[in-house]
Amino acid sequence: MKQQQKSSFKKFLRFLSDNTVTVLFVIICAVSIPLSGYSLTYLVSEIIVRMARDSFLIVSLLIPIMAGMGLNFGMTLGAMAAEIGLICICDWGVVGIPGIVLAAIISTPISILLGWWCGKILNLAKGREMVTSYIIGFFMNGIYQLVVLYCFGGIIPVRSSKLVLPRGYGIRNTVNLSGIRLKLDNLLAIRIGTISIPIGTFLIIAALCLFVLWFKKTKLGQDMRAVGQDMEVSRAAGIKVEHTRIISIIISTVLAGYGMIIYLQSMGTLNTYNSHTQVGMFSIAALLVGGASVSKANIRNVFLGVILFHLMFIVSPMAGKNLIGEAQLGEYFRVFVSYGVITLSLVLYELRKKRELGDEGAALAAGQKEEGK
Amino acid sequence: MSKKRLLIRLGTLVGVLLLAVLMYFVGREHTILVDDKSVGDYKALATVDVGVDKQKSMELAARDRDKFVVTSQSHSITIKFTDSNWNEQTITRKFKVPVGLDTVIISLPTLAANPDAPQADWLAEYIPPTVVVRQDTTSETVNTEDSFSF
Amino acid sequence: MNKIKEFVNQFGLPRIIIGLFLLLLFIIAPFVGVKVSTSINDTLVRFGMNSVLVLAMVPMIHSGCGLNFGLPFGIIAGLLGATLALECEFHGVVCFLMAILFATPFAVIFGWGYGKLLNKVKGGEMMIATYVGFSSVAFMCMMWLILPYKNPTMVWGYSGRGLRTTITTEGYFLHVLDDFLKIKIGRLVIPTGMILFFAVLAFCMWAFLHTKTGTAMTAVGSNPIFARASGINVDRIRTLSVIMSTWLGAVGILVYEQSFGFIQLYMGPFYMALPAVSAILIGGASVNKATVANVIIGTFLFQGILTMTPSVMNAAVHTDISEVVRIVVSNGMILYALTRKTEASR
Repeated sequence: MKQQQKSSFKKFLRFLSDNTVTVLFVIICAVSIPLSGYSLTYLVSEIIVRMARDSFLIVSLLIPIMAGMGLNFGMTLGAMAAEIGLICICDWGVVGIPGIVLAAIISTPISILLGWWCGKILNLAKGREMVTSYIIGFFMNGIYQLVVLYCFGGIIPVRSSKLVLPRGYGIRNTVNLSGIRLKLDNLLAIRIGTISIPIGTFLIIAALCLFVLWFKKTKLGQDMRAVGQDMEVSRAAGIKVEHTRIISIIISTVLAGYGMIIYLQSMGTLNTYNSHTQVGMFSIAALLVGGASVSKANIRNVFLGVILFHLMFIVSPMAGKNLIGEAQLGEYFRVFVSYGVITLSLVLYELRKKRELGDEGAALAAGQKEEGK
Repeated sequence: MSKKRLLIRLGTLVGVLLLAVLMYFVGREHTILVDDKSVGDYKALATVDVGVDKQKSMELAARDRDKFVVTSQSHSITIKFTDSNWNEQTITRKFKVPVGLDTVIISLPTLAANPDAPQADWLAEYIPPTVVVRQDTTSETVNTEDSFSF
Repeated sequence: MNKIKEFVNQFGLPRIIIGLFLLLLFIIAPFVGVKVSTSINDTLVRFGMNSVLVLAMVPMIHSGCGLNFGLPFGIIAGLLGATLALECEFHGVVCFLMAILFATPFAVIFGWGYGKLLNKVKGGEMMIATYVGFSSVAFMCMMWLILPYKNPTMVWGYSGRGLRTTITTEGYFLHVLDDFLKIKIGRLVIPTGMILFFAVLAFCMWAFLHTKTGTAMTAVGSNPIFARASGINVDRIRTLSVIMSTWLGAVGILVYEQSFGFIQLYMGPFYMALPAVSAILIGGASVNKATVANVIIGTFLFQGILTMTPSVMNAAVHTDISEVVRIVVSNGMILYALTRKTEASR
């Protein structure tokens, strides 16, 4: 009897250590929600809106993880491609669903090009993919600024003067997306009381999830998983390792572009120079909160992560205000938690990796000892 | 690469391009200005009731101008008015917004007088009157700082 | 032809491009009305401001911990030192020295913990360093709000509680190094004190690297297996290098603040690692090899570009693309370094 109790306790501990980040977050949320004083209906409706807004973006992170490329900070590139597409449709005055589709079509070739370039650089920095994709995001931000702040309106003609800065060239700080605002969300929306559920968007997210599940079973998907496990073994098995890695980044970038469009149609306004930089950070944080790691992530992590991360995000300022008297404290708290989560996940991942290698080595040594007897 | 594969890829590419063009036309927003001003021989109507597509109709008096915002190219316009013989007339015409134009203006008196005239007679591109604009000295500084709101 | 190719390969094409670009800017300057003396003046001042922060990169690169993206952690120690010195109402040079004194224990403790963490995650240091840096800045944001500071020049006026976002160093330690022994040549003012201060630290670093511990550090960085076989305690050396980096980061931000004139709290230090990292990479360092010469050349080139581009570009083509140039140059340099094959591969 005692033996059983001991082992189930051990199992519980193991569960805690494997899912530390998620458990920590659940505790934080459980404490903060009552502190914040928000009503349940408010929270539920906010979470539903944010799930529809952000899930697509987070799903786009799954494929590079599968291929062993780690967390794709380069999804920012897809976001930028989407923004360029949106600037175009705003300029041409195309609205509604056709506008969204057109923006997606415009963003695709740009995403493919950027994803290809990003993949090529990541292949040159094997073993350091995450830091490199992180810096690539910053670098491309510079190029993006060069294009959007200096070329648009000058070399690249922009007809609508609403979009252009007073000085004559360069796009304004904020672009009003009223033409496509909530058009996808409201397509097939169901109202329950005061809560509006954007079925249209959820259908698209569901389609994407099905796509990812199907993709894992295709030859390309299997190749990616093999490359993710062990590059040299896959190479020996005849898989074109570099090529496969680049394709995983391209797919991720294109999906990130579409996800960005969904995100922005929900927001309704485009912050021309800031929207894309934040997107990468919070998508990765949410995925990690959902229990994913640098080498393993599935769809469950995406949805669990969105719910927990955004719950924390919404309730922190008010919780901080009611606890200490400063809402600002709550705001800084949520920034700290977002970065802390990523730090913790990265550290735990490395520790676990070392532990597993150590276990393997010990098992190997024990096996050899046996044979030696 | 096998020929069949190449053909399929080319086909998809062409299909997507066609879809993009279709989206452009279907989704393009236009502003239709309706004008009840005297033009040449055609006198302005005292009151006229104007409706475009299924939108709510508006009533205009002489010298009035109003606007409708529509998407896509083809529309119908319906006007109800009382003509010089004190008869109520209802005229419905289909029209297409010419490609590439943002805003067009329809002269209601012209349309009322010749309901079957070709579109070009009563629909024209709207060119905003050029006004001397002082140089916009408002400066908008671009803010590239992060603000950490998700 | 071959010799040129060899030279280019060794020096690195991006570095040569950057060097030539800077030279070009200096040449164009007088033709578009930018005074060369002001440019040199500004470049020297910015060189001095950033030099110690860049120097902070050297210990960690040497010991194989990679590029110190977690520099903000050390900067925080420096900020704590500065705010405490101001709170205690010291003035002038004494204030500066007290700031360093106050910052040191923080830097050592932070560095020690940070170093221990990095030792446990060998191989993934750079990414974790980045996020440790970010998390610490975010954490301190909360702290700056609630720590019980009282000095009226530092706290918000209305509530009297919580530090302001920027605090001026005027009246405290503004320009204490800059003005020390400054040399005026016509319109050119050389901030001798600041540069001397950096020179002393740089010399100490160079000397340290030639001591027994220093050579051990180099061994750990370039060949950890050999180092361990020679009986060197790899983990202890790495922790030492992290403490040194953190302390130099703390001193570095103090040097920066005394010249800049402001203490920037809250999100200020957030991205401060990137310019320092790019600077040392521009100077010729790689992910696991860096010398003091790299620091000097790199800081000069990087700050030179940052100073010259706005003034020259503005005057020449009436557009200010300096921000874009800064982003592209600094991040491009880091990308270049990350994609090189290193001698000590993982």
